[in-house]
Amino acid sequence: MCWVCEKYGNKGEKWYLNPENYARRLYKVRKEGKEAAGSDADPQSAGMGAGVVAELVKARISGNLEWEEEIKREALEHAYQTHFGQVVTLDEYLQILDIAYPLAKMTCGCRRVQRGMPDDENFTCMGIGPGMYKWERWPETYRGGVEFVTPEEAKEWALMNHKEGRVQTVDVFGTPYIGGLCQCEYPGCVAVRNRIDYDFKFLLKGHTVAKVDREKCTGCKSCLGRCQFKALNLEVYTSKAYVDMDQCFGCGLCVTACPTNAIELFDRENMPGLAENW
Amino acid sequence: MIAEIGIDYNLCKDPLGCRKCLSVCPSVIFVCGPTKIWKGRETDPSEYRIAGRYFDKCSGCGDCVKVCPTGAIKVEFLPREQLAQQFRIERAAQLKERNS
Repeated sequence: MCWVCEKYGNKGEKWYLNPENYARRLYKVRKEGKEAAGSDADPQSAGMGAGVVAELVKARISGNLEWEEEIKREALEHAYQTHFGQVVTLDEYLQILDIAYPLAKMTCGCRRVQRGMPDDENFTCMGIGPGMYKWERWPETYRGGVEFVTPEEAKEWALMNHKEGRVQTVDVFGTPYIGGLCQCEYPGCVAVRNRIDYDFKFLLKGHTVAKVDREKCTGCKSCLGRCQFKALNLEVYTSKAYVDMDQCFGCGLCVTACPTNAIELFDRENMPGLAENW
Repeated sequence: MIAEIGIDYNLCKDPLGCRKCLSVCPSVIFVCGPTKIWKGRETDPSEYRIAGRYFDKCSGCGDCVKVCPTGAIKVEFLPREQLAQQFRIERAAQLKERNS
């Protein structure tokens, strides 16, 4: 079982379908601090879970594996207690939109900092939960403002994002509270990029894995280009889709692109070879 | 060889508004983040800074240098081993400090 479910799931349920994990209290006692005066930020650490990238790059270049592992171990120990994410399927994402409230569309910080996406083209994230009522305290996090939407509007928007090819994820802000639903891709999403390029497990794989039914696959290539995790290509010599199941994050983008239902999602935990591959 | 990406912040004043290098880079090397976070207001664009965060992925194509309207970007290449040596020294210093 995924360690987050073990700790925060409701009796064997997936942790992100447990309503308790959306019930963060609205108020907490804050210490007086210098926050209002404008605290320093490191532009290098902008984007989801990017604080360690500068160090990781150095460790990589120096070829010091021990150093690299230490950076990851320490950073993840902290991240898993505070801020991390996991891939979910479209179905799960839609279920979450019925559990969490309120729902507010907001701009994607990753694409802003990595591509300078203008705000009006960049409303691909969703802030959720009571914390959104006080978004104006920290407008930089919600640069470009927010737009509160109904669950029905949110679902329509989620379907559009899935269709366009974005991976859907849940994001924790103060474990186990889920405060964000992101729609990510490589390389624009910092979390996806750091997982793929540096094997930094800030973003966990989802609970499913895609498998190709080689009888049903016609080699039409509709699924090609859907995978954001470098896990899908055409097996040219047999003209069939190939999913690298070890590399698959279980988002299901390839599944919904297939006109012959030749790709199906299976439970990761029912596949002994992949069950611990988060 | 590994890229060393230098940004002249006296020339690059509005990176988020300009975003030409961010947009053109085929390898998404750059990041443009705030240097300050304020309560109650957005960070001013002048408080944003560009950095070559993923410099280890830079191919050296030179598009960013060409596209920069203020000539603020400089890309030079150093032998990997020279940089590796430099970072190993940093690491050794870090370990020494930790153990002292």
